Amino acid sequence: MVLLPAGKALIWQKLDEHFIVYQPSSAETHILNETSALILASIELGPRSIHSALEWAAMRLGVPTNDLDIEEFSAAMVRLDELGLVDCQDDVMVVSE
Amino acid sequence: MIVADLTPDEFAERLTTIGLGIRFGPFKLRIHSNLPTFARVAYPLYAPYPLLSVDHLLDFHIQISSPPGLRRWLRRQACFALDGHFPFAPYTVEHAFPALEWGINWCIATRAHHLLLLHAAGVERDGRAILFPASPGDGKSTLCTALIHSGWRLLSDEFGLVLPEDGRLLPVPRVIPLKNESIDVIRRFRPEAVIGPSFLNTRKGTVAHVQPPIDSIRRAREPAWARWLVFPRWVADAPLSLQPITKSQAFLMVASNAFNYDVLDETSFRLINAMVRTCDCFTLVYSRLEEAISALDQLDRVDHV
Repeated sequence: MVLLPAGKALIWQKLDEHFIVYQPSSAETHILNETSALILASIELGPRSIHSALEWAAMRLGVPTNDLDIEEFSAAMVRLDELGLVDCQDDVMVVSE
Repeated sequence: MIVADLTPDEFAERLTTIGLGIRFGPFKLRIHSNLPTFARVAYPLYAPYPLLSVDHLLDFHIQISSPPGLRRWLRRQACFALDGHFPFAPYTVEHAFPALEWGINWCIATRAHHLLLLHAAGVERDGRAILFPASPGDGKSTLCTALIHSGWRLLSDEFGLVLPEDGRLLPVPRVIPLKNESIDVIRRFRPEAVIGPSFLNTRKGTVAHVQPPIDSIRRAREPAWARWLVFPRWVADAPLSLQPITKSQAFLMVASNAFNYDVLDETSFRLINAMVRTCDCFTLVYSRLEEAISALDQLDRVDHV
């Protein structure tokens, strides 16, 4: 299972601890917490596995991967998929670290 | 020329013949009506507003008249029309004036997509504006009416009109419809306020219209910058509470109170983001107008220091 960016050219704004993201392809605006924002940011360069996205997020936060709550991460990924902000697919070339 | 330059008879004649060309802020309208009761109510309330000559290009051609055909003889009704189309069920003829005012709101909310339309009241002092985005029943009209009779200029009671090119707020200082208990609240608060007749049992209860101060109408073409976003809520007997909120909360609350956020797409996102960043954002819970005004005046004073 890998994650792909679903909406191209998202427009980001950081407002206090949240990220506000405008998705031109759907004309929708989303308010994201840091976890969701990190998932999206991790796949901006291309597809990633969930594990790779988790490692990337941990590196950005400066914490060990084990410190991240995998359940929260997975829930955020499902929600992003529902919103059409990521695509979850089975067979795609994954960006290497 | 303003409406008051016409006599009441000339006013009524225009409504039935060439139509009354009138300007409300950025909107130019022509109103036709064959209802004498409408003319009698509208004349004093519209008296300070600019008249338009017949050759002006107009935004809306509207009409509040008796029903077409035989129905006019069967029932005393008032029908609102835009460009000859009747979007609403007829009103009782006694409610022609509020029906026209609601009709104008509908025209703006559904047609004026060259502007970002926020459902918000707005007042201004010294070039800086407070916007009050709110849902119906939150007390924004009452608070706004009290403020414009306490040294603030009316931008609008209903629409925060945001210019896409620079984010400034355009005034549209129309008469303010007060509902139910708010009418007596304002009569007691400012006995000198110009308030029209009360319309009983309308679709929104009892309604009476407040004429904005003349200065607000004269300065209807002076835009202002939003400086504060205040989300008001009237709660009976509640102590005053003016609490800062986060900008992301404010963004959500403004965007969800916009009439045409979806229509303007990225422009709406950009404008609200810029507005939220430049404004201080608060929730306001109040029960007494004097306390609310004092708290908002204090915001303004602190900003001057």
